[in-house]
Amino acid sequence: MTAPGRDLPATAQSSPPVRERSLPGGVDMWVMVLGDLFFFGCYFVTYMVFRALSVEEFSASQRHLNVGIGVTNTVVLLTSSLFAALAVIAVREGALRNARRLLLATGACGVLFTLLKVYEWHSEISRGHTIHDEFFGFYYVFTGVHLVHLALGLLILGIAVRELHDSRGRRPAIVEQSVLFWHMIDLLWVVIFALLYLMR
Amino acid sequence: MTDAGSALAEDRSEEPAEPERKGKREIWIFYWLFGVFYTALSVGVCLLGRATPPPRPDVTELQAVAWFDKHQMGIQVGFVFLLVIAGGAAISNGIIGYFMKRMSSGKMLAYAYIAAMGVGAIPGFQVLLVCWLTATFRPDRDPDVMYLLYDLGMLSYNGSLGCFTAAYIVVAIAILYDKNRIFPKWFAYVTIWQVVTEVLASQMWLHHSGAFAWNGMITLYIALVVFGLWIVCFLALFRKAAAAETARTPALYELEGTR
Repeated sequence: MTAPGRDLPATAQSSPPVRERSLPGGVDMWVMVLGDLFFFGCYFVTYMVFRALSVEEFSASQRHLNVGIGVTNTVVLLTSSLFAALAVIAVREGALRNARRLLLATGACGVLFTLLKVYEWHSEISRGHTIHDEFFGFYYVFTGVHLVHLALGLLILGIAVRELHDSRGRRPAIVEQSVLFWHMIDLLWVVIFALLYLMR
Repeated sequence: MTDAGSALAEDRSEEPAEPERKGKREIWIFYWLFGVFYTALSVGVCLLGRATPPPRPDVTELQAVAWFDKHQMGIQVGFVFLLVIAGGAAISNGIIGYFMKRMSSGKMLAYAYIAAMGVGAIPGFQVLLVCWLTATFRPDRDPDVMYLLYDLGMLSYNGSLGCFTAAYIVVAIAILYDKNRIFPKWFAYVTIWQVVTEVLASQMWLHHSGAFAWNGMITLYIALVVFGLWIVCFLALFRKAAAAETARTPALYELEGTR
């Protein structure tokens, strides 16, 4: 066996080291994200078809939604995505403490989103808007499944924060994965917000 | 070659040939049994029994009786056949449990998966067969009773979600924690979609029509696409995992005297 690099040709020795190209976030998480976007896309198309069949009923129910809370939640999630993106930059630069704080801020925005969503649900249910109304059936299912994803995202963020305490060298990868998933949650919410709250 | 390397080669040449294990052949047999069982299940449930795509949930009792009368022969042939081969579900669950026991995430998750799927097979499979076979072999019963069997069969078949949700969560956790890379991590995420569609399908108890009824686009058809994708992915990964097992792969269990 030879020592590393001892018998390499001169050209190989002089050329800069080739950096291994890899997909940020990893292939596994991209399968999750793209698949999730596809299936949510199917749900959205289904909603559009049912809405087209009963436009007046859907529009009448839609007016009961609190757009103010919807806008606030959108701003909260977009802000969380900004923190998440900054966390990736920080961890790539080796600023682990800063990255950890940014991930915690991302998670805090996620918790705030959840609290606002629970308040909104409580408010709608107490005013009698339940799943017996077709529009609200879609509303509770879409926002509920989104909330499940958000809870999963918080769990993954928690794993990433824990990884930042560790010294096994997986830091950029695990943070990229968690942030990739978080951006997907954000993207899904923007579409759900547009479909349920804004589209008339 | 170094001295150490040549010494290692000599040692290997002096090793007695290891006896061939039967594990690999058994795995392949189970692979084909898995494929055959799910094919038979699809034929019995879809083509003969007509449970998928399902009948309408918004019918009257007389329409339900007429539906049973129209599909009597198919239900009887298909579902009696499925009752006979129902044990295939245990083989399918067992082989997934086998690969889960190969994972570093622990045997407990494999046992949890097998138990959850075993319990889930009763409402998710057997109750449908028994209800609809009763309705078609006793066509002279009260229409209200027939109507109840119609609803009970479908709601049990599509609405019994807790056990399957638990089973899929367990598989996803096992894959994500596994360091032996028996299955790739992305398959855990595909399994999580299964969990989401199972939870969504719980809506069917509340709706008689629309996207969330038992024949709805969201509760049934999109969920079916996810399930089909899961099965196709699993078969491909199963094939790869089976091919990775060699004669040197240690058996999960050995006889006391052969250790």
